[in-house]
Amino acid sequence: MIGPTIKIKGEVSGDEDLLIQGQVEGTITLEAHEVVVGESGQVFADILAKTIKIDGKVNGDVTGTENVVISKLGNVRGNIVAPRVLLEDGAIFKGSIDMDPGDKAEKAAPQGAKEPAAFPSQENKAPRLDLKSG
Amino acid sequence: MISSQPSSLLPTLFESIEEEERLTVLHIGNALPETVEFFSRYRCKLHFIDLFDDLSRLVTTQDSTISLHQVFIDLMHLPADTRFDLCLFWDLFNFLDQDAVAAMLQTLRPHLHGNTLAHAFAVHNLKTIQSGNLFGIRAMDQVTLRPRPAPLEGYKPCTQGQLEKSLTCFRIKRSVLLPQSRLELLLSARL
Repeated sequence: MIGPTIKIKGEVSGDEDLLIQGQVEGTITLEAHEVVVGESGQVFADILAKTIKIDGKVNGDVTGTENVVISKLGNVRGNIVAPRVLLEDGAIFKGSIDMDPGDKAEKAAPQGAKEPAAFPSQENKAPRLDLKSG
Repeated sequence: MISSQPSSLLPTLFESIEEEERLTVLHIGNALPETVEFFSRYRCKLHFIDLFDDLSRLVTTQDSTISLHQVFIDLMHLPADTRFDLCLFWDLFNFLDQDAVAAMLQTLRPHLHGNTLAHAFAVHNLKTIQSGNLFGIRAMDQVTLRPRPAPLEGYKPCTQGQLEKSLTCFRIKRSVLLPQSRLELLLSARL
């Protein structure tokens, strides 16, 4: 645990779960473990862990190989990459969420790459107004 | 307090998407739990950009030397290699004047492709009052509404006709009249 009065600048890594109640600036890498940013925790760092729960404040990119949870008290500004992401009611999040961490190469498709087959070409039709009851 | 509203146009955005298809989505507004949960069924990347938070900056900019286009570049921070399949504008266009819509779309245009689809709200009658809601998706045909803590400043309701003139890189494919004279719009990219 990193206690509420502790401030760390640099790389945090290891082979156990971590609870952060203090302040961390730099990077946090605990690939096979859980990171919890507690209510008083303030993280200005990228986090890589198996599971990540955020009850405090994070400014940085968050990568969870299993899942990421931002609780109702959590405040995250950054990009999240994880196969499962849960935002609780009241959570504050600004950034992007990538829920398909695989196929990174596909994601970085260059401008002009072929368009996805999921969206067949649309015809040029005049807009129409549908009246809906209720 | 969360309420919901059926949508007859949102399903069109999703009807041709296979669950295994990669999807890149632009969502203008707050990230809400139900929206993240809804999109978790897709292989997708969601970009949440809350331009509503920055409406006051847009008003200030109109008196300054910084161009509106530059302001939107700074506010949106769109990654160079990203092209959106779906754009969810919600009621953004009811808070931007014509110049701001043009500047926003100029910023967005390089991040669209020929088959990009979008969803937005406009009004049927300029006397329509501000909805005052945050928007999310609970199901393919259901929008969730959460009241904003306070009404937003700078409400400029926009009709379909006005919007058609401003939409430089989208065309309105279909619109549906909703209660309280609001309009739901389905847009497709026009590049």
